[in-house]
Amino acid sequence: MSAFKRRTTAKQPPLPAGTRTCPGSTATVITSTGIPSLDDILGGGLPLSCSFLVLAPDPHSAYGELVLKYFAAQGLACGQRVCVVDSRSQSFLAECMWMPGSNSNSSGVSASAQPASPAVPSQVTAAEDEEDQRASEHDTKIKIAWRYEQMKQFQTTVPSPSQSADDYCRTFDLTCRIPEAVIQSARADERFLDVDPEEGTSVDGRPSSCRRVIQRLSEILSQVASDKSLATRICIPALGSSEWGDLIPQDICYFLHSLRALLRRYPSACASICMPPHLCQEAFGGPGWVQKLGWLTDASITLAAFGSNPSLTAMFSSHHGFVHIHALPAPHTLLPPSDKFSTLRGLTSSGENNLAFKCMRKRLIFETLHLDVEGGVGERRTTPSTSAIAMESAVGHGHGHAHEPRTVPTGGSQSVAAVQVQLEQVQIAPTPPEQTADQTLTPGKPESGPKKAKVKKKVAFTSERPDLYDF
Amino acid sequence: MVMFPPNELALPGEILLITDELLAPADFMLHRHLATHLKESKSSPCILVSVSEGIERWKAVAQKSNLILAQYLDAETLTFVDAMSHIAPHLDERTDVPLQTLLQEIKTRLLRLKPEEESRTLVILDDIASLEWIGVPVVEVTRFARKLCASCRKLNVSLIIRHHVTTPGEPDDILKHLLQLCTYHIDVFALSSGRSGSVSGQVALHGGPANLAPAHRFIPRSAAVHYRLTDLGGIFFDRGTGSGVL
Repeated sequence: MSAFKRRTTAKQPPLPAGTRTCPGSTATVITSTGIPSLDDILGGGLPLSCSFLVLAPDPHSAYGELVLKYFAAQGLACGQRVCVVDSRSQSFLAECMWMPGSNSNSSGVSASAQPASPAVPSQVTAAEDEEDQRASEHDTKIKIAWRYEQMKQFQTTVPSPSQSADDYCRTFDLTCRIPEAVIQSARADERFLDVDPEEGTSVDGRPSSCRRVIQRLSEILSQVASDKSLATRICIPALGSSEWGDLIPQDICYFLHSLRALLRRYPSACASICMPPHLCQEAFGGPGWVQKLGWLTDASITLAAFGSNPSLTAMFSSHHGFVHIHALPAPHTLLPPSDKFSTLRGLTSSGENNLAFKCMRKRLIFETLHLDVEGGVGERRTTPSTSAIAMESAVGHGHGHAHEPRTVPTGGSQSVAAVQVQLEQVQIAPTPPEQTADQTLTPGKPESGPKKAKVKKKVAFTSERPDLYDF
Repeated sequence: MVMFPPNELALPGEILLITDELLAPADFMLHRHLATHLKESKSSPCILVSVSEGIERWKAVAQKSNLILAQYLDAETLTFVDAMSHIAPHLDERTDVPLQTLLQEIKTRLLRLKPEEESRTLVILDDIASLEWIGVPVVEVTRFARKLCASCRKLNVSLIIRHHVTTPGEPDDILKHLLQLCTYHIDVFALSSGRSGSVSGQVALHGGPANLAPAHRFIPRSAAVHYRLTDLGGIFFDRGTGSGVL
């Protein structure tokens, strides 16, 4: 019998459902927002006792509300308590997404009594991968130098969680709606609470909706405070919308400030807030408004969708908007855990990455944003970019490349766009290789003989030297 | 390693103003001042007036530098004043002077303290900007600041006030008043090139208008000292040098 006694740590109270401890700071308990890439940006998830503000200043889209729907759906899916502060909370919840499964509403069949079970993620991700594959097919055809062929493809986002991590973050499908049965059972269990911000007026004529909501939330949280096994999510999809009355910036600031104080007092709750577009602008809040909001909440991001800006949509065609991070949660540390643990933000590698989001058919993902390969004078490409617009033109003169690949162009069977190869073929064959490293133009070839109508690739930039050698 | 900030920045009767920005928050400065103050002698009292943050975060961060705040709270060397509990009732009533109760509370606690001969009392107000944001009139906030500074000077107490700057380059009214009141001003601001992994921000040191014989050399913004945040606090280094930090 060994003389050593194993030193057992004091039994930690079990964590509430759907939460786990933050890897960087054991005192912090985090919970998922429903979107894995957003969880990564926040450093694993949203910590309990923290408030999270999503600003969506674009009036033509509702991505902020989409994030809030994920938040509510995730809360219901892992059995947490969800409190929705909205005048139409029932319809807000009914629009939430759900996990794809045999019992979900995706086909419009009436919901059965059993709650939807999470489908095998491979089904969802397989469809996703198909989309991604088609989109990135052109990338695989780029001639990669042989020494880089072994490297894996550049990752722009975090992968969806595997089956084993499903308890923390469920995989949601935007094409599925939440089954009515789930909402009913949550209501019956008192896991779905709602607060209506009625527009009343207080003594001096200012709307009292904010104070009333804070009071009601305080009552709810104190009632459920004894039940430590369930975390509470407060979901405010439209803070300051017309149902709240005519709010001034001080009302919003007071609300956010008091909400955060409430969350500190009842640390088994967290909150997610979204504001309508007109309240996210400096026209409403004055100079430095976004900064103030960042100070008054623990985590704050802006989803700046490209909706009203066609040039941005054209430039970043695979994304739907930028993501600006203003504040990150650090409830028990000086440094937010996201600084050390976020792969998307990239602080561990070189510097801050630019982030963007895109809403695909089945999910919303946050990604790193990189400028496309095309850009600047004198760049070299071996295949056309997907955003190049093909134009019918009689006189063809493709943009030259300094070096041609060693391989003799064959019948154009290898390349995606047969056009380009043909063009190169036509250019190379008759002219002797006179290229130098600096020349960005290859001598144009005299158009001789009948040829099929070539599609000329129109590129967005022009070389500084005019087409001197164009015959 | 650069010795910044100078440790005796807020001597008794002096007012230290710390301003920061969202991209470069100055929490670490406040924690550092609190830690130095509490560690210097067994009975140097401190009053922590917090508007926005709860005591839990202070405790958790202090624990990283081996400072157990619970002990000081029990021994009443450290007093935590939750400012909103004194302000919120009056904000609802819409009185003219919502901050009066808070000021009274601070003064009462200061008078109740009986510091030893060598020890100093420190008052930290974190932060004053939120008071204006949540609806307290600017006039009231500036009067509160002035009265608080006057009380601290009279009682020979060091005062640290933290203010958030949301419009860099254009000081707001409260900042203009605070700049007139302070003895020293620590200016924590972000790098002009945005975020970086290795440098978290920069710090400058300015003197207040009434500071005729400054004990410390000022550091202008153009020659600001860079710092890098770690879980234990900030490490300072001269701009452009790695100094074994990077």
